[in-house]
Parts: sequence; structure tokens; C-alpha cells
Amino acid sequence: MKPKIAVFEFSSCEGCQLMFANLEAEILEVLGAVEIVNFREIMTEKGDDYQIAFVEGAITQESEIERLKKIREQAKVLVALGACAHLGGVNCMKNYQDQEEVRRYVYKERAEWFDTIPARPLSAVVPVDYAVPGCPIDKKELLEVTKSLLLGKKPSLPDYPVCVECKMAENICVFDKGMTCLGPVTRAGCATICPTFGNKCEGCRGLVDNPNVNSHKQVLQEHGLSVQGILNSFRMFEGYLEVAK
Amino acid sequence: MPLKVIEKRDVEPLIRHLMERFQVVGIKKKDGKNTYGVIESPAELRLDSCATITSPKKYFFPQRETLLQFAVDGSWEPQAVVEAQPRIIFGMRPCDIAATWMLDMAFSEVNADANYLEKRKRALIIGVDCKEPCDEYCFCKSMGTLEVETGYDLFFTAADDTYIVRTGTPEGEALLGEWGKAREALYEDRVKLRAVQREKDERFKEALEFDVEELPRFLEDSYRSLLWDVLGEKCLSCGSCNLVCPTCYCFNVLDEVKLNLSEGERYRVWDSCQLEGFAKVATGENFRERRGDRVRHRFFRKGKYMKEMFGRFGCVGCGRCTRACLVHINPIEVYNQLKGGE
Amino acid sequence: MDARLLPTVDLDTIFRPRLAQLLNVEEMTAKEKLFTFQLKDGTPLGQDPGQFVEVSVFGIGEAPISVSSSPTRGDTFELCVRAVGNVTNALHRMAPGATVGIRGPFGQGFPVEEMRGRNVLFVAGGLGLVPLRSLIHAVLDMRQDFGAVTILYGTKNPSELLFRNELAQWEARDDVDYQVTVDVADESWRGNVGVITTLFRGLPVDPRNTVAVIVGPPVMYRFVIREVLGKGLPMGRILVSLERRMKCGVGKCGHCQINGVYVCQKGPVFTYSELRNLQEAI
Repeated sequence: MKPKIAVFEFSSCEGCQLMFANLEAEILEVLGAVEIVNFREIMTEKGDDYQIAFVEGAITQESEIERLKKIREQAKVLVALGACAHLGGVNCMKNYQDQEEVRRYVYKERAEWFDTIPARPLSAVVPVDYAVPGCPIDKKELLEVTKSLLLGKKPSLPDYPVCVECKMAENICVFDKGMTCLGPVTRAGCATICPTFGNKCEGCRGLVDNPNVNSHKQVLQEHGLSVQGILNSFRMFEGYLEVAK
Repeated sequence: MPLKVIEKRDVEPLIRHLMERFQVVGIKKKDGKNTYGVIESPAELRLDSCATITSPKKYFFPQRETLLQFAVDGSWEPQAVVEAQPRIIFGMRPCDIAATWMLDMAFSEVNADANYLEKRKRALIIGVDCKEPCDEYCFCKSMGTLEVETGYDLFFTAADDTYIVRTGTPEGEALLGEWGKAREALYEDRVKLRAVQREKDERFKEALEFDVEELPRFLEDSYRSLLWDVLGEKCLSCGSCNLVCPTCYCFNVLDEVKLNLSEGERYRVWDSCQLEGFAKVATGENFRERRGDRVRHRFFRKGKYMKEMFGRFGCVGCGRCTRACLVHINPIEVYNQLKGGE
Repeated sequence: MDARLLPTVDLDTIFRPRLAQLLNVEEMTAKEKLFTFQLKDGTPLGQDPGQFVEVSVFGIGEAPISVSSSPTRGDTFELCVRAVGNVTNALHRMAPGATVGIRGPFGQGFPVEEMRGRNVLFVAGGLGLVPLRSLIHAVLDMRQDFGAVTILYGTKNPSELLFRNELAQWEARDDVDYQVTVDVADESWRGNVGVITTLFRGLPVDPRNTVAVIVGPPVMYRFVIREVLGKGLPMGRILVSLERRMKCGVGKCGHCQINGVYVCQKGPVFTYSELRNLQEAI
């Protein structure tokens, strides 16, 4: 029997689901091995009988907590899809602002209708088995994780920083271009897409297991970032983590 | 082996000639820095440039390389995959030629590695002499790799409007022979070559404060030095030093399965002993858990272990690791510190 | 070097495994299973006791696993595997008939020939019995060639004891002194309680003619080696087998290095005197 897959979203831009939907050619082959029973972005049917749940988005409302717990109860495997689900992502920037102000700013005159709680990753609410990190996710990595799950292999994320992929790609170091970069402490696996196309690494995939944050912060300082500047760079995606506080 | 002379203006035609039969690779510009790449037109080749980000080892030992194709259920015999093509590396520097010797040793001793050796054997190496140090980070003279006697098929030294070309192998000689535009060197050319070499030697300074043959002893005496802890506190464990090193050859091996989940390939990728998980086994035990121990391992490999295994140092003094290190771990400084002001 | 001096190589490379069929699976404990394999080309594995193989579960990966059976016992070979990583968990899901890839045997095994005529003191901690069993079988199969045989075995608790049938046989033999201990007993346990070093109290060891063979978790070596040194054994007659990340098995990939030594080439079996100058060893 083909494993049944469902895709859900919480607070997010739904861009990671879009990456999933955009697998196009590959999705047909994937569909040969799995059955998608619930995926709002591409289908109208809604099945609640699934084994693998891919969940996008951060948790920012009380009601989302209950919904996520239900998904966790049903799913044998829960995979966080993208930076918001995996880390809290950009949603956590609001945690550093006045919650009431943020609420009014976002929901305007309807603010009373919606509650808001500090943003958090899925793992702050329920146990998460695996993650496909990134903002947005990398299609190839999503396929690798899916294949691994189907083969009974524990999907493993690289535990080395983006620098490794930059060196293999022979990119000019972002620091040598006069910018600062979170690559030295950020988990690789994105084929260093941002530095390859002239940007810096913003850390959307989260930190490696044991980053040398102190030394990296000194590097950032040496390249002109103030203490606040350093915190701000980590708060873009790592706002939920200690490193940004 | 005979000494030949090529006019500088004839180099472009030579490259064009070689491109007919070979993939020609050499140093090209990338965003203002130098990298080795496939030469599409002769004008791209920068024979005067050096200090590339990574070394030309990628042509013998690519970043990622397929080793095997297999059926997931083992229903057919797994097939070894060895990819190689005729190739000329034009413009390899003495330090990288010395590094290639090291890789040749590593991949041919005990268990010959066909994936490396086939690529290596089908490549011709045309070396180009350095005129001056790349920058303050290179220390080839101290490591004894400023001059190389072997390891190339041809070796070019610029002198006025010519390149004086040393032939290292019959293959190199034949390459020039069938091209037909290189002339035999005259007495004046030999004199000129010696003068150029002398001038070159003067421009390169000794960076180490001791004879490099002493290095293994200094390392051994410093095994328990707090220096490794200090370096470990700085080190980001980003692996950059290993990945740009021309003599590093550690790799990881991984499987990738096709979407049909029934077939796949096994491949190797460059790895780095500075990365946290390098010596970690499946039970969770990490046999080189401390950052400082990993830094020490790298320096010991370069300055002692490889010397013991192969008779030459694993460091050729190219300076790439220093250029790539965001926290300024510089082997010149480390080695001199080890000497301890004796 | 001059490319002409490079060796000619077999394009059937050092990375290509031979296929082997899983013949039998036996559950040992909650975490370990014993797998019996046969190479599909019909040849025996040809291992020395103490060597390891690289096992491929195609699509999952390859892992180094020590061979637990002795070459003195037939053309099949046995691997006792704890499910800890991707490859070993995949093995645990396999049923007889399944196919795996095998490279090797690799490494230096136990120096059986040099051990002949001597007393042998085996010390196994936990999974250390797995590689040691190949040597124990070889020694017992050539029992008359050896002096006194002592087997000391320790695990964390009774449920982790491996090869229980064989343990009972060793215990029953008159020509083997078998002693076992557990760190923590349960209600059914009637035997020794305490770490393995407690078995050394009063243990008769003739330092002039005994070889000690010690295999266990990394933390064990320091303490057990101290005990056998205390019995007067010379360092060259203390043998250990070390676990490392032997990714390629052929001395290239670098992961198994202890200082300058590739464990997959010079090990996994070492004498203690060989380890003296390898600070990273134990």
C-alpha cells in the first residue's frame, strides 16, 4: 500500500507548499510511490487518513496549537516544511516587538477578531521527526527527504556549514566582497544558492548542531557589524533561538 | 629532456591547437578572483595569475564523483563507475604540481584508486613558473615547493618575449613535436633561464624561522600544547581550509536513489576533518569531538603524518587555507609559534 | 610524479561490493540480531578472525561491521549487528533471501599464529564480544594448540548478553574458564555484579605465557589494560580491537585515522605497544 501524505500550513507565505506543488515532472514519479490525500494548494479533497504530514508555517495563534496537535496525533511521521515550521522563521521577528501593536498593525480594524501569541516553530508545540529547512525549501532536498522516508532511511540534514558548499562551488567568500554572512554557522544543504547568486547567507536553514557562535560573532564584528547588527542578522530567521536574544 | 623555446605570441595558437584534441583547463577569472576552469577560448587563460580559490586537484578528484551504480534490491551486480577524459591542465603552479605528487602517492599506494588514477593518467600537466609570491600568505619556498623537478609534462618559464619550456616526459615532448612551432633552446636561452630562476628565488622570502625538516619534531613536542585549544576557540569548524587544500583527499561516501526507488548510485564527496561529525560513528561516539583536537589533527597531518607516510610534507605552502580562513589561522604563524622562539 | 610511474588499476574498483545473500536472522537481544550471509559467487569470505567487512544496503549506504564468525566454520559468515544507524536499522528490517553488498574483509585481524601455544585471556565488554567471538571460535576449534583459555564477559545488564547458547556451552566446558558479570542485575540474575574489572580480583594469569585480547566500548580499555598490566603482561601481548569510522575500508577516506594511523589498514587489531605513541587511541 502506498503511504498517504498530507500537506498542511500554518502562519507562512505558503511558498514552501508551492515548491512542493512545483515539483512538476518529479511529482508524477513521487505520486507513483505515495498517495496525496490532503494538500489544499493543489486539490479539493480532504482526507484525514495519512501517515506522513508535511507541515509548513510557524505557530502564532492559540487555535493553531490545537490543530497542530491533531495532526501530530494522526501522523506517524511529521516533517516540518521550511524555515517557519522548522525554526519559527521570519514570524519570530514579531516576538521582539509589542504584541498588541503587531496585532493592530497586521489585522487593523479587525484586530479584535484574532488572537496572537509569540511565534514559535512546530517543535515548540509537538515533537517533530524531520525537517526540510530553508526559506523557501529546496526541491531536491524535499525529494531526498521523501525518498528517504519511503526507503526507511532516516533523512539526515548536513551537519556542516554553508562554507563547505561555497568552497566546493568555488564562490568568492561573501566576506571578501565586503558583506557579512551567516554561512559559517548555518546548516548547509541549499547548494549555497544565495552566495552563488551574489547574496549573503541569511541563515534560513538554521544553525549547525554545534556552531562556534562566539567566534563567528567576532568575525561579524571585525567586518563592521555592531552588536545590535549581529543580533538583527540572527533575528531574521533564528529569532526563536538563544543566539538572537 | 630537451629544453624548448616558444614565443609568447605563439601561446594562443598552441592552446587552440591543444583544444582540438583535449579538454584544456587553466586559470580563469571569476568575479575578480582566480579559479581553474575549462578554457573555451585561448584568451581566457591567465598564465600570469595564481592563488586560485581551490586547487586543480578537482580534475583528478572531483568535489562529487560517482563510484557505483546499483539496484536497491541487489537484483543485478553493482557496476563500478570510472569517468575520465583526455585533458590538459595548462598553467599548474609548482606548489600544485608538488601537491599532485602527494595525491598520486595517496591514491596509488596499497589500494590503487581507479577513479583518481584514470583521470590522472589521462591528463597532461603543463606547469608555469611563478615570478613572485602570490601574496603574504604563500610560503612555498620554506616548504621546498618553489621549484619542482618532476611531475609535469611541460614546464613554462617566462623570459622576455618567450617561454623557455622544460620537457618532463616523452608525452610532453611529443605534444610540442607535433605542434611544430617550438624551437630548440640555444645557449642564450639557458643563460636567460638561469637568470630568471635566480631573480625569482630572490623575490621569494623564507617565511619559516627554521628548517622545515624540524617541523615534525616541533609538532611532536607540542602535542599537548595549549596552542591547539586557543586555535580551537577561534576555529569555526567550517572546513574551508581542507576544501581549498591541494593535498587534502578525505572524502565521504553516500548513496542516492532515483525517484523510481529501485536504482541508485553511490558517490563520494570531499570531506573535512575539521567538521564536527568527521570521526563520529553510528553509536554516537565522536572520536575527535573537541575543536582544538581537530585543528591539531589537520596540522599534524600536514606537518608530520603525511611526511611519515609518503616522505614529503602534506603542506606545500600555497597559502590557500589562510586566504580562506575567516579567523586568520595561518600555518606560517602556527609553525613559527610551535618553534617556540628557540 | 611522472604519470607513467602510476600503477595500472583494475577498473573493477576497490569500491565495488560483491553480492551476498542473507540466509538466516536470529534475534539476540532487543537491539542485536545475528545475520548469516553467503557470498553469491559461492566463495568463502576468507576472513581472519578480527577483520571487518563493509556492508552495503543499497540505497541506504555502507557501514563497517566486524565479522563475528570464525573462518574455521564453513563458507557462510555471520555478522552480529546492533541497530543504531541507517544501515544497521535497514539490516534489521531484512528477511532471509535479501541481498546486500560486501566489500572486504579488511584490516589486520588477530595474530592467531603468534598466539599458538600460549594461554589466552579474552576480555569482552558489551558488543566487544562480536569481533572477539570469531577468535574465540577459532581458538576453541584448535583448542589443543592453546594453553589455558579464560573468557571474561561483562555487559550493562543481563538482557544485553549476546550468544546465550554459546555462553552456556563455554561455561560447561572444563577446558575454558568462563566468567561473566553485569553492571546492574535484575531479579533473575544470580551471577557476578560489577564492572568487568571486578573479575580480575584473584584471577590467575601467567604473565610469561599469556596473551590478553580485549574488546569493548572505548571507555573500557583504559581500565582493563591497567588490570592486565597489573598482572605483569608485557605490552606486546595485550591485544585490542578499536572501533572507528571506517568509511571506505581501503585507507583513503581519512575518517578512521588515529593520529597518523589508518585503522582500516593497520588495525582494527593493535597491540598495546603499538598504541603507546598514538595519543588518540584510547
